Amino acid sequence: MLRCAWVLLALVVTGCSEAPPAPAPKPMPSKLEGMWSDPPPTAVGTLCFFACTDAAIERLNALLDDPKNDARPFPQLAAEAQKHQTDNYLRPRLTEAALKTYPLDPADDPGFLRCEPWGLAKQMFAPHQLEIRRAGDDRIELRYGEWEAVRTVHVDGRAVPANVPPSRLGYSVGHFEGETLVVETSAVAPGITWWDSQHSDQFRVTERFTRSDDGETLNLTATIEDPWGLREPVVAKKIWRWAPNQKITPYDACEPATEFKKGTGEP
Amino acid sequence: MRRFRVGSALRRTALLCMLILLALAVTPVASHHAFSPVYDAKKTIVVEGVVTQFRFVNPHAMMLMDVTDKKTGKVVKWNVEFAGRLNLEEAGWTADSIKPGELVKVTGNPTWTGSQRMAFVKLVRADGTTLEPGRAQRLSAIEEERRQRAKQREQQPAQQATPEK
Repeated sequence: MLRCAWVLLALVVTGCSEAPPAPAPKPMPSKLEGMWSDPPPTAVGTLCFFACTDAAIERLNALLDDPKNDARPFPQLAAEAQKHQTDNYLRPRLTEAALKTYPLDPADDPGFLRCEPWGLAKQMFAPHQLEIRRAGDDRIELRYGEWEAVRTVHVDGRAVPANVPPSRLGYSVGHFEGETLVVETSAVAPGITWWDSQHSDQFRVTERFTRSDDGETLNLTATIEDPWGLREPVVAKKIWRWAPNQKITPYDACEPATEFKKGTGEP
Repeated sequence: MRRFRVGSALRRTALLCMLILLALAVTPVASHHAFSPVYDAKKTIVVEGVVTQFRFVNPHAMMLMDVTDKKTGKVVKWNVEFAGRLNLEEAGWTADSIKPGELVKVTGNPTWTGSQRMAFVKLVRADGTTLEPGRAQRLSAIEEERRQRAKQREQQPAQQATPEK
């Protein structure tokens, strides 16, 4: 009986005392922090200036390794690799619903017509500057030169809230796997992908950012899913170059299109 | 009539220039939207005039120039559209890269509508110095990479044929 009383007393004391302090936030690897910009001037870097897939990279390397192509201009080879990517990788992954409007006419781009900033599906691959900075212990900010867009990545272990409304850049949570920053984003409003297809609010993406061993490049592998628009995930890649002297300048002079022709996109 | 015969070296140079222009013309400008709805990338035009304004801004830098019609003497305003400041700074451009009052000759892609507007390809100043977009430097680096790649390819069979000592 006395033993039970001691146990009860111990439980009461424990319950009334202050909660143990939360563990100190785990320091974030800083290898990724800083300013990045356009890829190195290599063949693959240029192919992936916006975004690319392994299908395009492999095709380009095969074309470059064939002596018959030595006299052909690089843009021609890059265009051929991109066409291979479209025909053999992207198009077969699109659902019937997405194929109805694919490829979208570039003249219908809201960014072009009305200066509307990109949604996440294009913004995450935006050319030029990307600045990665921690913003406190629980968040990382991704700042892009294009459109001066800012994404917040919550790295405090939370999940994407169930009731968060879809927005242009979605809701991002992240964690580190060693030196790799893994960012998962959902709650993205319907928009346009980097391959000029529509996507739904079921769009979600997992981005993996890693720095190369020599420290000179930042590599992104993004696995994109959208049950409405994709039969299976698209795995896209992008490269940035370490550019500590670059800066993001104001993006304040966009003018809506006044003269244009429709039907100039990919046939 | 005396005919001027173009030497083979000159012909080669001209061909090389044409290839570079073709390469520049078909390389898309990385920007916030495709240029194709506005400009015909398969054509280039050359316009000479005096710069009146250069706006080093995002998403696209713009240049205004006065172009005088040699026959009528009438001055027409032309608008040249560039990639954005974000892009041009990568290639080392500044707000002073083009100054008002400069006489310049600009090569660009014309609009589909034939208006007095073009997408920038190359600029030559009165003193012969030139300005090119960042993609010209990029293409030059890639050509060097391709040369190295071809050299390695040629060396590989020779290396394989060399017996180990």
